[in-house]
Amino acid sequence: MKRGMRFLALLVLMLAGAALAAEPIKIGAMYILSGNFANYGTSSKQGVQLAVEKINAKGGILGRPIEVTFVDHGKPDQAVREAKRLILENKVDFLFGIDSSSVSLAVAPVANEYKVPLIVTHAATPRLTEMCLPYVFRTSNNARMDSWAAAAFAAKQPYKRWANIGPDYEFGRVSWEDFITRLKELKPDVEVVSEQWPKFGSSDYSSYITALMRAKPEAVFSSLWGGDFVSFGKQAIPFGFFKTIKFYVNPTGGALQALEPLGKNTPEGMLVSARYWFLYPETEANKAFVKKFHDKFGDYPSYNAGEAYEGMMMLAAAIEKAGSTDPDAVKAAFEADGGLKYQAIEGLKWMRPADHQVFEDLVWGYTKHTDKYPFAILDPIVVVPAKDTIYPTKCAK
Amino acid sequence: MDFSFVILQFLTGLAYASSLFLLAVGLSLIFGALGIVNFAHGSFYMLGAYLLYWVVHGNPEGLWWGLVVVAALGFVVGAATERLLLRPVYDRPEHYQILLTYALLLVIEDGVKLFFGAAYKSLGPPAALAYPVWIAGAPFPAYYFVQIALAMLVAAALWFFLQRTRSGALVRAATQDREMLEALGINVPRLLTAVFALGIALATLGGAATLPMQTVSPGIAVEAVISAFIVVVVGGLGSVWGALLGAFLIGEIQAFGVLVLPEFAIAFVYLLMVVVLLVRPWGLLGRPPAVRT
Repeated sequence: MKRGMRFLALLVLMLAGAALAAEPIKIGAMYILSGNFANYGTSSKQGVQLAVEKINAKGGILGRPIEVTFVDHGKPDQAVREAKRLILENKVDFLFGIDSSSVSLAVAPVANEYKVPLIVTHAATPRLTEMCLPYVFRTSNNARMDSWAAAAFAAKQPYKRWANIGPDYEFGRVSWEDFITRLKELKPDVEVVSEQWPKFGSSDYSSYITALMRAKPEAVFSSLWGGDFVSFGKQAIPFGFFKTIKFYVNPTGGALQALEPLGKNTPEGMLVSARYWFLYPETEANKAFVKKFHDKFGDYPSYNAGEAYEGMMMLAAAIEKAGSTDPDAVKAAFEADGGLKYQAIEGLKWMRPADHQVFEDLVWGYTKHTDKYPFAILDPIVVVPAKDTIYPTKCAK
Repeated sequence: MDFSFVILQFLTGLAYASSLFLLAVGLSLIFGALGIVNFAHGSFYMLGAYLLYWVVHGNPEGLWWGLVVVAALGFVVGAATERLLLRPVYDRPEHYQILLTYALLLVIEDGVKLFFGAAYKSLGPPAALAYPVWIAGAPFPAYYFVQIALAMLVAAALWFFLQRTRSGALVRAATQDREMLEALGINVPRLLTAVFALGIALATLGGAATLPMQTVSPGIAVEAVISAFIVVVVGGLGSVWGALLGAFLIGEIQAFGVLVLPEFAIAFVYLLMVVVLLVRPWGLLGRPPAVRT
């Protein structure tokens, strides 16, 4: 009897303790943490870690701490399994992240079906938000906006003979399609002289480079990214590619993941972008963020680390505004008052209520070497205002 | 099509073929002598690129001695792998060997990630080779001539070794009948260790030699081993000259396929493989499987 009483008392104490420590908000973050693009996933993860640390240090959201489970999303089929596991076993309140476009297209319907809001911070296919799913949001800009921005720059150039070299999959195809369609709208007399589609993840680009140069384009659009861009660049330079081509534009060429390994070999004067650039804007807030990131991880924040950080902060803002983690309340918070406007370090992010796509100013620039960094930086920087990238959506609201 | 451009494209294909040959020849050699399908072959190729980056501390001028050191390290690693991991499974059914080499692929991938991190590693060509050479009025990367020369050198050395030396004759004999060789008093296990080590040394050398024009990350291993398999399937698994022919054909088909139908350039390579598999399933220079009595 006495032992029974003691046991009961212990149980009551434990229950009281649990009630005191508020129930955490559970988030399942999915990034690519193995294979060829693991360095992208790893830096996204670092961005999330920094954001969560900051939020929890201030007492969490609605008095509840954030608890993030990171998983490697791998290929689409694996990602769908992981997403279901996070939803059914870990009982997460939100799904978050995703680096790959094809993975995002596979996971989005699953999250939507289970009514677990998915916040995408990196995958960039415009098709994701054009699926018009009520519980799917993207807090970074997508490839169409990058392509439109590139087309706006391209239209101002005197060049008419254009060519493309891009990776042969969803992202590469969509980027070129959007770019050239838009460019032809802005400047109807452009002509496509060559399209090259090396396999995604190729190591050898030389035959594509020579074939492209043979068509004698004046300007080249390219969406090769990551290691593909590094290998392409190393092979294109000794072919005299960057000396023959007058204008080279790449919407992902401003990624540190590519600029750092290329180092001092990076050709100057390429017009490139990244969705976040660690030297822009030159505000105290950004400098503090970069310093904090560098102190913790020994590296400058890549564009997707920046976007992962801001994605988490924007989600926190939406939950705060909703006053709960209820999916419909959070959805309403993202959509209400003409769409959530969140002041990020990189600038204002506006969530369009109809398709749940964020629009923001895009930072572009021309590559240039300086003494300060062992890799090329963007100088001068050219900013494309958000309004120039707002494309029509077929989602109704 | 103008003639100078054909030459340029041919050389481009040849450069690609050279790296394919160095990658695939070891795979073929190892299968010929040891009867093992080495799924980890691409991983050793990748390891070679990392080792080069590591031994020269990111200094492109160290390439020359770096390549020698990497090949030597590859030989040692290969010998140790054969002695410690493969030898115990020779007598087991084939799927043990396949599982083992596949496991090695995973271990090496995670190993390099632990040691070198997940970021892309890149090394430029030595300053003297960073400029184009002019071929019939068109620029061509000087470094590609190094790769082509290296592959030719390796092919010639392999020919000399296999056809003109006693050890080479023993390796050829091992591909025909290992038991007979043993009965004749040859130390076959030691011979097999040497062949495996040689194959791995060539893979690491091949991987290292591509680094000045490419980039290395943990994921290239799988890409590489698939390319290697396509080469040996076309050329004939177990045949050194088959690897040479397969690499040459694939390199050139890739180079000229881009000109004919750029949208489907990759398909030509697979098409060649399908045709070879249908017409000569044992590969162009392979031997049809003999029925052993």
